[in-house]
Amino acid sequence: MSDSLLLLFVTIVVAFVINMAISLYGVFAKPSLVKKFIALTIFSDSINSFAILIGFRRTALGHPSIAVLPSPPQSPKDLESFVKTAVDPLPQALVLTAIVIGLAVNMFLVGLIMLYCRYYGTTNIKKVRV
Amino acid sequence: MPMNELLPAIMAFVTALVSIVATWLAVQEKDLLVAVLFSALQSTCYALIYYLLMAPDIVLVYLPVSVGILPLITVILVKKTERYEE
Amino acid sequence: MKLSDVIIGVSMAMLAVLISYLMVYGGLGPIASYSLRPLATSFLNYTYNPWNVVYSALSPEAVTAIVWDFRGLDTYFETSVLFIAIVGLVALFRGASIAQGISSRGLSIIVKTSTKIVAPLILVAGASLAFHGHLSPGGGFQGGAFMAVAMVLIAITFSIEFLHQKGLSLSTLLTIRCVGLLAIAVVSVYLLVKAVLLGGSAYIFQNMVRINSSYSMPSWFIDRPLGGALFFFNLSESIAVIGGLTLGAILLLLREEELRAVIGGEERE
Repeated sequence: MSDSLLLLFVTIVVAFVINMAISLYGVFAKPSLVKKFIALTIFSDSINSFAILIGFRRTALGHPSIAVLPSPPQSPKDLESFVKTAVDPLPQALVLTAIVIGLAVNMFLVGLIMLYCRYYGTTNIKKVRV
Repeated sequence: MPMNELLPAIMAFVTALVSIVATWLAVQEKDLLVAVLFSALQSTCYALIYYLLMAPDIVLVYLPVSVGILPLITVILVKKTERYEE
Repeated sequence: MKLSDVIIGVSMAMLAVLISYLMVYGGLGPIASYSLRPLATSFLNYTYNPWNVVYSALSPEAVTAIVWDFRGLDTYFETSVLFIAIVGLVALFRGASIAQGISSRGLSIIVKTSTKIVAPLILVAGASLAFHGHLSPGGGFQGGAFMAVAMVLIAITFSIEFLHQKGLSLSTLLTIRCVGLLAIAVVSVYLLVKAVLLGGSAYIFQNMVRINSSYSMPSWFIDRPLGGALFFFNLSESIAVIGGLTLGAILLLLREEELRAVIGGEERE
C-alpha cells in the first residue's frame, strides 16, 4: 500500500510543476500587464508549494501528525513519540515569510501598474511607443 | 485498513487536477474579471492541498492573502484600467 | 498562433518534463521519506522541553516557536520589508488624501445590513487567532490578515468617507502601523535593558533562560503555557499588519477627483 501512496504523491508533485510551467508561459507570452501580474502570482504560489512538499513525511503506522503538541508532555517518552510522527516544521516557517514578502511586493506592483496606465493610456505593452 | 490512509491522498490528487484546469483557464481567458475568478479558484484548491499536507499555519496565511486581498486589489486594478486584454 | 508563442510553449513543456523528472528522483532531497532531517528533529525536540529549558522555547506550537524564537531575526526583516513596501506605496501617491463630499453613499442597503452582521464576527475571529498563536495554529500575521479583510470590506460597502468621518484617516492608519512596530522593538530588547539595569547579561530576542543569562519572560499563565515573548510578539504583529494592509488597500481605492490634482494623466486613457 505504501507504493500507491507514493504514486499519488508523485502525481501531486507533477501537478505543481505543470502549474508552474503554464503560469510561466502566461508571463512570457501574453501582452497585457494585468494578465502578466495574475500569472506571476500563480507562479510564486507554485514555487512556495515545492518547499511545503519536501517537508512532508510518511510514518510506519498510520498518519503523520501536525507539528503541534496537543498537551504539555508528562514524560520524555511523550516527546519521543511526538518526534516520530510529526511533519517537518521548518519549511512551513520559511514559506510563511515568503508569502508575506510576496504580498508586499505585489501590492506595490499594483500601484505601479495603475500609474503606468494613467501615463501611457493602455496596459498593452506592444502598443506603447517609448 | 489501508483505504483509510489512501483517502487523503486521493482527495489531494483530485484537487491537484482541478487546479491544473483552473490555471489553464486563467491564463487563457480574455475577459480579465473572469481570469481573476479562475485565479481565486486555483488558490482555493491550493489551500485544500496544503491542509491535506499537514500545514495548518500556511492555510491560515494563504486564505486571506490569496483569496481575499489579492483578488480584491486586482479587481480594483481591472476597474481602473482596461477590462478586456487586446 | 504566432511563432513566438509556439516556441515559448514548447520550451515551457520541456522545462516541466525536466523539473518533474529531477524532483521525483530526489533533486530537492528525498520526498515523502520515513525519517526527518536532523535539524527538524532538533527543533521538534526542543519546542517544549521542560527538562532542558536552556535550549527550549517552551511553547507547544513548533512553527510559531521557529518564526519568533529560533529564527526571530528573519521575521524582523520580513516585517521591515512589508513596512518598506507600504512606505513606497505612500510615496507613489504622495499628496493625495480623502476628500469629503464627493459621493458618500456606498452600496445598497441590503449589502450594508448584512455587512453590519458579518464584519464584527470576522474581527473577533481574527483577534482570537492572534491571541492563541502559541497554543494551536494561528499567530500574529494570520490574525492581522483576517482583520484587514474585514476592514477593507467595511471600507467598500460604506464608503471611505464614512471611515474618514469615524476617525480612520490615512495618517491614523500609518500611526497604528508604527505603534505595532514600536511594540515589537520594545519586546525584543526588554530583557536586554533589564539586564543592563540590574546586572548580568542577556541577548536580543531572548525568550527563556539561556546558558549565560538567567533572565526569562513569563512562561506560564494561571493554568496553561504562555509562550513568553511569543504572546506579545503575536499581539504587536497583528496590530502592525492590520494597519499596513488597510492603508495599502485604501490608497488603491482613492477616487479620480482626489488623484487628478496630485498625479498627472487621467483615468482610462
